[in-house]
Amino acid sequence: MACLAIFCLIAVLCLLAPAYVSFANTDPFRASLDATVEINGVEVPVMEESTEGLALGYTPIGPTWQLGNYFLGADNQGRDVMARLLYGGLNSLLISGAATIITMVLATAIGLTAGFFGGMTDTILSRILDVLWAFPVYLLAISLSIVLIAQGIDLGIIVVEAGSLWLPIFIIAIVYIPYIARPIRGQVLALRRSEFVLAAIGLGVPEHRILLRDILPNVSTTLIVFTPLMLAINMLTESALSFLSIGVQPPDASWGTIIQDGQGLLYTRPMVALAPGLAIALTVLVLNILGDGVRDALDPRSKIKLGGD
Amino acid sequence: MLLALIRRFGQMIFVMFGISILVFLIFFATPGADPASRIAGRNASPETIEAVRKSFGFDQPIWVQYYIMMKKLFITQDLTSFVNRGWKVIPAVIDTIPVTLSLVIGAAVLWVIFGMLFGILAAATRGSIIDKLLIAFGLVGCAMPVYWLGEVMNLFSQSRYHDTWLFSWVPPLGYKPLSEDPEGWFLTLIIPWITLAILYIGLYGRVLRANLIEAMQEDYIRTARAKGLSETRVLLRHALRTSLISFVTLFGLDFGALVGGAALLTEVVFGLQGVGKLTYDALQNLDLPVIMTTVIYASFFVVLANALVDVVYILLDPRVRSA
Amino acid sequence: MKKWLLAGAAALLLTTLSGTSYAEYKAEHRGGTMRLLSRSAGGTLDPHINYTLQYWQLYQPTYDGLVTFKKAAGAEGFKIVADIAEEIPKSENSGKTYVFKIRKGIKFSDGRELGVKDVVASFQRIFKVSSPTSGSFFAGIVGADKCLAEPAKCTLEGGVVGDEAAGTVTINLTQPDAEFFDKLGLPHAVILPADAPAQDAGSVPIPGTGPYMFESYDPNKALVMVRNPHFKVWSEEAQPDGYPDKVQYDFGLSEEASVTAIQNGEADWLFDEIPADRLGEIGTKNKEQVHVTPLTAWWYLPMNTRLAPFDNEKARQAVSYAIDRKALVKIFGGSVLASPVCQVLPPGFPGHEPYCPFTKNPGKKWSAPDMEKAKKLVEESGTKGQKVTIIAEDKAISKSIGVYLQSVLTELGYQADVKPIATNIQFTYIQNTNNKVQMSITQWYQDYPAASDFLYILFGCESFHEGSDSSVNISGFCDKGLNDKMKKALELGVEDQAAANKMWAEIDKAVTDKAPAAGLFTPKHLDFVSKRLGNFQFNSQYYWMVTQSWVQ
Repeated sequence: MACLAIFCLIAVLCLLAPAYVSFANTDPFRASLDATVEINGVEVPVMEESTEGLALGYTPIGPTWQLGNYFLGADNQGRDVMARLLYGGLNSLLISGAATIITMVLATAIGLTAGFFGGMTDTILSRILDVLWAFPVYLLAISLSIVLIAQGIDLGIIVVEAGSLWLPIFIIAIVYIPYIARPIRGQVLALRRSEFVLAAIGLGVPEHRILLRDILPNVSTTLIVFTPLMLAINMLTESALSFLSIGVQPPDASWGTIIQDGQGLLYTRPMVALAPGLAIALTVLVLNILGDGVRDALDPRSKIKLGGD
Repeated sequence: MLLALIRRFGQMIFVMFGISILVFLIFFATPGADPASRIAGRNASPETIEAVRKSFGFDQPIWVQYYIMMKKLFITQDLTSFVNRGWKVIPAVIDTIPVTLSLVIGAAVLWVIFGMLFGILAAATRGSIIDKLLIAFGLVGCAMPVYWLGEVMNLFSQSRYHDTWLFSWVPPLGYKPLSEDPEGWFLTLIIPWITLAILYIGLYGRVLRANLIEAMQEDYIRTARAKGLSETRVLLRHALRTSLISFVTLFGLDFGALVGGAALLTEVVFGLQGVGKLTYDALQNLDLPVIMTTVIYASFFVVLANALVDVVYILLDPRVRSA
Repeated sequence: MKKWLLAGAAALLLTTLSGTSYAEYKAEHRGGTMRLLSRSAGGTLDPHINYTLQYWQLYQPTYDGLVTFKKAAGAEGFKIVADIAEEIPKSENSGKTYVFKIRKGIKFSDGRELGVKDVVASFQRIFKVSSPTSGSFFAGIVGADKCLAEPAKCTLEGGVVGDEAAGTVTINLTQPDAEFFDKLGLPHAVILPADAPAQDAGSVPIPGTGPYMFESYDPNKALVMVRNPHFKVWSEEAQPDGYPDKVQYDFGLSEEASVTAIQNGEADWLFDEIPADRLGEIGTKNKEQVHVTPLTAWWYLPMNTRLAPFDNEKARQAVSYAIDRKALVKIFGGSVLASPVCQVLPPGFPGHEPYCPFTKNPGKKWSAPDMEKAKKLVEESGTKGQKVTIIAEDKAISKSIGVYLQSVLTELGYQADVKPIATNIQFTYIQNTNNKVQMSITQWYQDYPAASDFLYILFGCESFHEGSDSSVNISGFCDKGLNDKMKKALELGVEDQAAANKMWAEIDKAVTDKAPAAGLFTPKHLDFVSKRLGNFQFNSQYYWMVTQSWVQ
């Protein structure tokens, strides 16, 4: 349960981003190319001009390890990385979380249906999954990003505008549906023939009840294992998409956009790319262990398990 | 059996063409994607643009253009690029295939072996510190973007520590064909293989571990144990087979996608001119003929891989046989 | 003195009186293979069509035109000298006719001798293949209008006339053109064999007359140049011999990897921009390998004068006052690599007189932004609070500039948004009025050294086309008075380039004052070469002269 605490800590930290920002007296969304920062009593410019050799280039300040004072250093616009990291966490968790939930729900539904009913249903659904998986999503993303600059898309319930977060959520969710649906389908194909399912069918139990009561719990392990992994993968996909300007628009931040910014600073300030990466890893690790705990708590059979966890 | 194969093959063709039509439509629906101006050159006069438009057939209705492109792609096989005019697309794509295959097959070998090792070891030592460490490492692997990891590898092996004993064996970036320079081919690919495999090792290991643990609680395992078989034998010969379903499914999805060019960021970072890099450049340039060709190529492999996986299911889990 | 001579010489303002003699050819450095790197190929290899800096650099030593820009470093490189023509002809028929005598003995790389028929055919080909500048630069040739209407049947009858017996080619223009020789010096007007294909040759090299020829070209892998076996020097200043035996131009490596490769001695030069985080490193560790050269180019911010809020002149001026150009210079890489500008014409250009009204102390140079004045102007304009979208490219520098501008506009009171678009689409996207672009970030590099290339092309009424992807007057600026003045300056340039330049300076001031675009900075060009590369020479028209450097 320490993991639950850690996860809550991460979430709370991110929610406290505005507080940190006023404590640090910095604006993480505006370029501060001329700002100065005080370290150990000395005023140092945030963007240090190169003075040796040919005096080429500006290097942002590195980590100062002083809370509230460019703790992790600055990015290439002079903005405080720590502040952006906290704000970014909110966006990242939101986008990846929503996308993961949508993926899991849709993929489970498709996988269960395809595996259980077989035949034409399976064929059609499987081919749809093939199309989804083989489709060049980047092309769609580039195209959409340009279309949306001019006007939004009105789907009745949801209005998708250029800066809307629904866009990356949906794109990321759809891309990975086959990744979950096909393994689920595979498992269901096997389970379909197991004795207790055959027994249930023989007893005349309606199909939807078999799906929900008998098959779903048995694939739940796979689902629970996949969820934190999908969260991690989604955060990384969000990073790739943000490069194409889908989703979090500048100057807003997400862990993905900070990694992108950090790519351009890799040779001088690796911390800018490292910090969000570590944040993602930590979040995922914690969620993963949490997930294991949840699974163990719910799984009837693991109560009779032979080893401890 | 034959009928099933033919049916499956027919579906594959259907999927591939469906995707190609979607790609075509998306391309023309994108404002600014009209290639005529970009081909004509900056500050071209309206007459010049019109002439270019005519010569490329952009003034024809969409379905005519689609038909012409498909004809050039499959029948006459002389489809040329929009951006690098006169450059035949099909030979270009064929040239890049060995590069991608070298990268992907090598990485696949690595991640299958290590993924399985991970999963089995973690499941066997379940709950112990080894298990926890393995999970942690695996997850860290999942959390690192491939392009970031690749750049960091380059930073260390080509730039910072290039002259130390650690990395002095690393050759300059860029693919060396196997037939010309086998040693160079191998050395060049080691770091890209590791970079690409790290993400999957963590993922696959994790999935396998979970499936194994679950399988170990099945009745037929208890039967095997009751029969007096050793724990190792039980694990490897009985539980593993059925636990591999998810593993194999994922492998089919990933391997199919990678062969089709999904490893594009790895290829870009390491300067390997594979299908992925070709696709990436074509997307940046909005070079429709190349995009079409690579998309059809990629979808072929994805669909093929998935079909093969369905066959493998039957081998793995006898219960599926009667499905 | 003949009018054209005055026009020609003075038009190229930077002609100094240094009277440089050519560095003698150092035979001990001859040979070796030079390795160049670039992220991607530059498109078609056809010199009549390609419009990229990347390949124009390679056409220097591979093709020749009737005249060419002198193959010399620095300002000398803006001079026009005779190349395939024996000498630069004086104009006849009040500036509308030029008779070029074609040199004998020049051979193409396939061994054939160049003759009058090749010259005539090459000019027809410019239209047959729909060269990008056929309509903009060469429309003044008699018969061009017919050729533009029906390119395939182009004969340029009456426009380009060859006389085999006399060995001359006569070009007739519909009206005098002060910039005619500049245009003839561009790759779009080089002389190719008469049987060159009448459509884009793509990746199949066309034989040329220069000291080097293209041996092979695979846009996904590499471009290879080798020596032209049939080349003999006929004019040191027009087409000197080169040093490397072979030039291998490899495609595919990323910028970071290329910089590392040059540091490791595995390659000699890279074409792309050096990533910002390596600048400090190469500026210190590899400083003898870095060459910084001023460019006649500018980064600027076209503002759509036909859409709110920038249809209001005060709003546009406010933006120009508010921008801290020093911050932008920092984003670009520091004051060594860029200098702030307010006006249209870049420093060192004919007609340039330093002028900057949009700063704290208006005068000749930019010093600091004047945010108070800017805010006041915004209030006066009544456009405060409106939504503005800035379109940037999705490259790092352009995006950073966009984010910075967003905060400036927000401070001014607008609701600002920045949208990066794929680099390859952005330039055509921002030109098309259908996309209703209010503000964008873009650059312009000179085609040739003439003020009209900046002022008339970017801000002339004729450069604006509604609903077209090619409307390079992005701000849609059209001021009849100024437009007429520009035309007058063009005419004046035929006779008196110095007077014309004065007129251009006035036009520059007037256009700058109206602020259809905000000038940001002029970049300097950064070349990073390997240790072994010697004799780095930078020509202002064609940049680094590749084959004039040696590798051993």
